[in-house]
Amino acid sequence: MIMHLHKYEKIWLIFGIGSLIVFLVVLGYGAFWQGTHPQSHGVTIDPNNIESNEAFKPENLGLTKVSDDKYIVNIAASAFFYDFGKDEEGKTVNHIRIPKGSTVLFQVATKDVVHGFHVAGTNVNMMVEPGYVSSLETVMDKPGTYTVVCNEYCGLGHHLMYATVEVYE
Amino acid sequence: MQNLQKNNASEKEKPDLKGTFVSVMILGILIVVSWIGAFALFLSR
Repeated sequence: MIMHLHKYEKIWLIFGIGSLIVFLVVLGYGAFWQGTHPQSHGVTIDPNNIESNEAFKPENLGLTKVSDDKYIVNIAASAFFYDFGKDEEGKTVNHIRIPKGSTVLFQVATKDVVHGFHVAGTNVNMMVEPGYVSSLETVMDKPGTYTVVCNEYCGLGHHLMYATVEVYE
Repeated sequence: MQNLQKNNASEKEKPDLKGTFVSVMILGILIVVSWIGAFALFLSR
């Protein structure tokens, strides 16, 4: 059978298929060459005992300096609170400070229900599901104070669940 | 009878697809622009 396509049909088919190819190439490049993946990539944890994981032991929560410009932030999320550990005076930490240009690895786990972890204004935006460790590494290169918000409705106190991350020069 | 119908079909004038073409392109460009916008936002943050 000889198919007769209208001239315009050929143009919009090329446009559509071309866009699809460009999109898939960008997606494939991100996934296979740059290692972009979902934030919870199959790392499991016991939600009833997240302390059994080294990263979520009470003394390992919060900001830890790994090397000159590398940091790890471990957070235990629960209704309605982000646990960043305690400071030297034993006070609950709700604000962390990171020097500009640092590479920061955020690791979050939840003790109860599904929570969100969004450092508003950045690409750090994760769902935190019971039984999984959500992690995301990013370079914080814009100074400012960012609010960490829970963007998965987790109960009556959902709106009270926040913290702040300060990136300083 | 079938042959007759086929002949009639091939002799038909080409359909006027100009309006369809313009609307398909407007929609396509809108989708591409919004995708580029979201991607640029992702890259800049």
